[in-house]
Parts: sequence; C-alpha cells; structure tokens
Amino acid sequence: MLPILAWRNIWRNPTRSLVVILAISMGIWAALFMSGFATGMIRDYIDSNISNVVGHIQIHHPDYAREKDVRLQVDPLPGLEAFLASQAPVRAYSARTLATGMVSTANGSRGILIQGVRPDQEAVVSNLRQNIREGTYFEEGRKNQILLGQPLAEKLHVKLRSKVVLTFQDLEGNITNGAFRIVGLFNSGNTPFDESRVLVQASDLGGLLHPADQTGTPDPVHEIVLLCRDPDSLVAVQKSLQTAFPRLLIENYRELAPELELYESQMKSVSLIYLTIIMLALIFGIINTMMMAVLERFRELGMLMAIGMNKGRIFSMIVMETVLLSLAGAPLGLLLGGLTIHYFNVNGLDLSAFAKSLNQYGMGTDIRFDADPGVYWQTAMMLVVTAFLASLYPAWKAIRLKPVEAIRKL
Amino acid sequence: MTYAPFKDWENDGRKGAPRGGLTSNLKNQIIMAVIKLDKVSKIYDAGKIPVQALDQVNLEIERGEFTAIVGPSGSGKTTLLNIIGGLDRPSSGDIEVGGVDVDQLSDNKLIDFRKDHIGFVFQSYNLIPVLTALENVEFVMLLQKRSRKERLERARELLQAVGLEDKMDKRPSELSGGQQQRVAVARALAPKPSFILADEPTANLDSTSAGNLLDIMAKLNAQEGITFVFSTHDPRVIERARRVVTLVDGAIASDVRKSEPVQ
Ligand SMILES: Nc1ncnc2c1ncn2[C@@H]1O[C@H](COP(=O)(O)OP(=O)(O)O)[C@@H](O)[C@H]1O
Ligand SMILES: [Mg+2]
Repeated sequence: MLPILAWRNIWRNPTRSLVVILAISMGIWAALFMSGFATGMIRDYIDSNISNVVGHIQIHHPDYAREKDVRLQVDPLPGLEAFLASQAPVRAYSARTLATGMVSTANGSRGILIQGVRPDQEAVVSNLRQNIREGTYFEEGRKNQILLGQPLAEKLHVKLRSKVVLTFQDLEGNITNGAFRIVGLFNSGNTPFDESRVLVQASDLGGLLHPADQTGTPDPVHEIVLLCRDPDSLVAVQKSLQTAFPRLLIENYRELAPELELYESQMKSVSLIYLTIIMLALIFGIINTMMMAVLERFRELGMLMAIGMNKGRIFSMIVMETVLLSLAGAPLGLLLGGLTIHYFNVNGLDLSAFAKSLNQYGMGTDIRFDADPGVYWQTAMMLVVTAFLASLYPAWKAIRLKPVEAIRKL
Repeated sequence: MTYAPFKDWENDGRKGAPRGGLTSNLKNQIIMAVIKLDKVSKIYDAGKIPVQALDQVNLEIERGEFTAIVGPSGSGKTTLLNIIGGLDRPSSGDIEVGGVDVDQLSDNKLIDFRKDHIGFVFQSYNLIPVLTALENVEFVMLLQKRSRKERLERARELLQAVGLEDKMDKRPSELSGGQQQRVAVARALAPKPSFILADEPTANLDSTSAGNLLDIMAKLNAQEGITFVFSTHDPRVIERARRVVTLVDGAIASDVRKSEPVQ
C-alpha cells in the first residue's frame, strides 16, 4: 500500500507534479538530444576517417611509418594479396604506392603525400570516387592523371585541366619528377586530409619510382588498406593476418589514429557533463517541490507518526514519492528523446551553415544522430539516482518533525 | 475460526508478548490500571514565561472505563492526553501505560508502542486524504504487517460497527465531518489497542453528529469493553461519560465516577 499511497500523494497537487514531470521529461529529452548528437558526430567522424583515410586495417613495412622511405615495401606482396582474397571477412582492399614529395604549379609549391592507387581497388575501399566534386575519377587508358582536393587546388590556384609537377625521390634515391594533369577535384569534407595529399594511378607513380632501365617490374606497394565486412571481425582479421605475416606491421584504425579514441572519450565525457548539469538543475527543482509537499503535509505527517508510522517508513514514503514522481517523467522524456534521435538518424541534422569550420576539424555537416541502447538505461538510472539524492533532504525534514507540534496545530 | 474484531490479537501467529521490546503481557493486567500517572507535571518553558500545563497529576484509568477529561480551554486536557499517548513527555513524574514505563522508550520505540497499544482520535485531520475509508482503517494494520485478508475483514467489520458499511470506498473529502470522525474511531480500533484517546473528537461536529459519535463510542464501550479516554468541554458530551475528570489550571479538581452509564 505504501507505493500506492506514495503514488496518490503525488497527484494531490496535479499541476505542481505535472510541472515537475514535464521538466524531467524535457531534461531527459535534452540529455538524449545531446548524447545522440555527440554520438552521431563522433561516429560520423570515425566513419569519415575510416572511409577517407585509414580504412579498418593497414599493412606496412614495420619501418615505413618512421622512415617514409620508398624502398620499405610491403613484402611478400603476391602471397599477401592471395591471402587477402581468400579471407571471407575481408570486404575489399587497396594497395597503394606512396611517395612524399612536392607538388608545384606556376604559382608555388607544397609538400604533400603522393598516393598511387589502383583505381578499381581504391574506389571500393575509400570514398574517393564519390567525393569527386568537379571533373571525373581516373579514366582508363590515359596516363598521368591526378586528383586534387578542392582546398589544395584553391591554395595552389589551380583548376581542372591544370598541369602540376610532382617531385620526389625514386627507389635509388635520385630526385625525379613527372607532369600530371588534373582530371578531378575531390572534397571529402575533411580539410586537413584534402590539403595534404594528391592521388595518381599506381602505374604512373610506380613507373617514375623505378629507374629508367627497370621498366616492366611490378609497381612497389607501401601500404595496403582493407575494409572488413563487419567492424566487429576486425580484431580477428588482424590476428590471422599477423600470424600469417609476422614480419609485416598490421594495425587497426584505432592504433593508426589513436586520436579517434581520445576524441570519442572526450565527446562522451562532454555529454556526461551535460547530463550532469541537467540532472543538477532537476535536483533542485525536485527538492523544492518535495519540500513544499512535505511542509504542506506537516499535520498529516504528525498524525501518521502519532498513529504508529515510524521514521523509517515516513522516510521511505517520501523517498518513494520522489522517485515515483521523477520516474513518471522518464517515459515521456525517453520516448521524445528516442524519437528525436531516430528522426535525425534518418534525416540527419543539416549543419552546412557551419560547413567551413566543421570541415576544418575533419567533421561532416550532416549529423546522423545515433545512440547505444545503453544510453537510455544510463539516463534512466541517472535519473533514479538524482531523484533518490533529491529525496533525502525532504525525507530527512519529514522525520525531524515532532508529532506533538504537528498535532497541536490540528 | 470465528472472527473477533474486539478481542485482543491472539493465536494469530505472533508469539508471546506484544512487540516493541515489551516484556509484560497485557492480558495479565486486565484488573490493573491500564493507565497510571504518578505526580505528573508538565512545564512548557519555550516562551518567556514558563507555563505549568500539568501540575502533579495522579490518575489511574482501568480497563473498560469511559472517561471524559473536562475543563476550560487551556486547562491542560490536550497536554494530559498527549502525555498519556506518548506524544509528549512529562517534565516530572512517572507514567505507566499497560505496565510499560513509556518514558523509557526511545522516540522510534514509542512510535511502535503507539501503533500497537494506543488508538488516537484527533479533533481533525485524522485521516489520510488520498486513501479511502477502508484503506484508512487498514493502514495501521498494514504497519503491523497483518495479512491482507485479515486487514480487509477487520476493516470492513469495524466500519460496519461505526455504521459506515456503505461508505467504505469513499475518500475523506467525500465524507461529512461526523462520518470522518467515525472512520477515525474505526481506524483507532483497528490495531486492537489497549485504549483509545480522543482529544475533543466532537469539537468540529454539529450536535447530531456529535451525539451519533458518542452513541457509537458508548456502544463499543458497553458491548465490547473498549476503554475510552476523551477530552471535551461540551456539556452534552460530558453527561455521556461514566467518569468525569475535571482539570483546572493543570491540576485535577474533581474525579467523579457515575454508577450507571447514561444512555
Ligand atoms: N507547546 C507549548 N508551548 C507553550 N505552552 C503551551 C504549549 N502547549 C500548550 N501550552 C500551554 O499549556 C496550557 C495547557 O494547554 P492545553 O493542554 O492545550 O489545554 P487544553 O487542551 O485544555 O485547552 C495552556 O496554557 C497552553 O497555552
Ligand atoms: Mg486542547
């Protein structure tokens, strides 16, 4: 009967209780909105990094990352490619020829990473092809095509069809260069990425890397990027690769881009801070309401103590009332929050007004809200804890009253 | 098993003496005084001038008595009832209720003691507004952890005894003042207390309702042997009492037992 009593007590002042319930719903909704937004943003960021930059797993010569030397190739390449083709969890891979060097135009030059790709492979593994904004992707049969990011093209004051010269060291350490024509300009929405690399065909880059007398040898490969069918199988794939090729460096995207994890945890703590602020605001509202409820029932509480309701029971009744009142606001808030997250998950929240600055940080402008199912539980649990804490002071006030003083006023 | 709403709880699964750390068995003390005050004084000194609300009161009340505490306003009636009921503590003197020195009990023990041994009827605000009449009567039995069946059975019988069998599902706000006080009497009886204390139970009632309430109390006293101690300054209520204790300035001025109950 105590829960029934507590529940009915809540509705003695329906307006006041409804205001609290609504405030709690709004608080939960806001918390879920923030969380959905933050989760969507970080997932978008990670996805864009995976699809534009790192893929799920990368394979390098163990020393490549440190020395960036074109001689440090992925070896044995044919065996590795055969192995990758045989692995069911591997969705696709792309072998890349890399060189660090310079891109020069009539207007100046910049240090960049030259990525030589096999067009068909690269189109599956990364978003490069979809991200072409002007011109086309690599076209078959033509030599010395180059793709530039729009931000880089702007900096270099070049346009589609402009000619640029790439300068880098070949496999024997001699400086070599080649002239390329811009066939496409891409924009991944990640400005640092777009500014720092150019893409050419592996066959062109490979040709330039080999000294003139060694034409016909296979193109060197420095990096293999692969995508798994299921991100959860990533660690297993990584393990089996490592076992099969112990002398290669095989890293997953979290190892390759540790800032992703840091960023993720920062986003999480930011939304936890928001949740805490919201709960703090609620806690004072709840305390205030329950204090009113206790004080206006002063005589009744005195009567209850007189007829034999002990302090423990009075205390739990007030706690129960507070928790029930707060939980009454939870379903609506969770529902609204869930619907909002679902809506923006399907439709996306368009932040293109802030595109420039968001892209600067490598973030997208179409935020697809997202949430782990655990978030709803976490928010609900947090609310229960908040309500419980908020109930302690009013409950303590209630048991401190002396029945005889309350009775005197009857 | 026949149900006996006016007998003490017995053979009901609860072993031995009443709870609350009490060692004596009330049943052995039927003949003895159920309430015993020995030179009880109460001085309120919260304000500037100390007020002597009770002055060396000696009083014994036995089982089955129907006692009115009378006296003008401010004479100490409420103070006396509060002290008997364990709601307030005397400044000096001894008080024994059902053989228990209630002064020795902690606040929380005292609450439990009241729950099991004393029924209260106040002037107003007796009932929990969000509960129905039936639920209000059940409530103390719930605190006593009685089974649902037992609670319902007894609550129905008690409401019937106070003539409210058709109002069981009404909330207090749907009842008249007199009906509310009758529910309060039923509620006070529910835990099978040793006695019932009623502080000016008719003060807020019109004379018909007051008469009604007194009829019920007198009937419960005469037929079931329920001990009542009630305060009043209403002459029509006073004449119904079988014993009249008059307080003047916190001291007992007279204590009269009538030989025959006035019906
Ligand atoms: N809490 C209190 N503080 C100070 N004086 C009190 C308090 N309660 C009652 N009194 C005083 O004690 C005396 C007895 O009061 P009370 O027992 O209420 O009398 P009655 O019920 O007969 O009207 C009165 O003078 C009253 O003013
Ligand atoms: Mg009084």
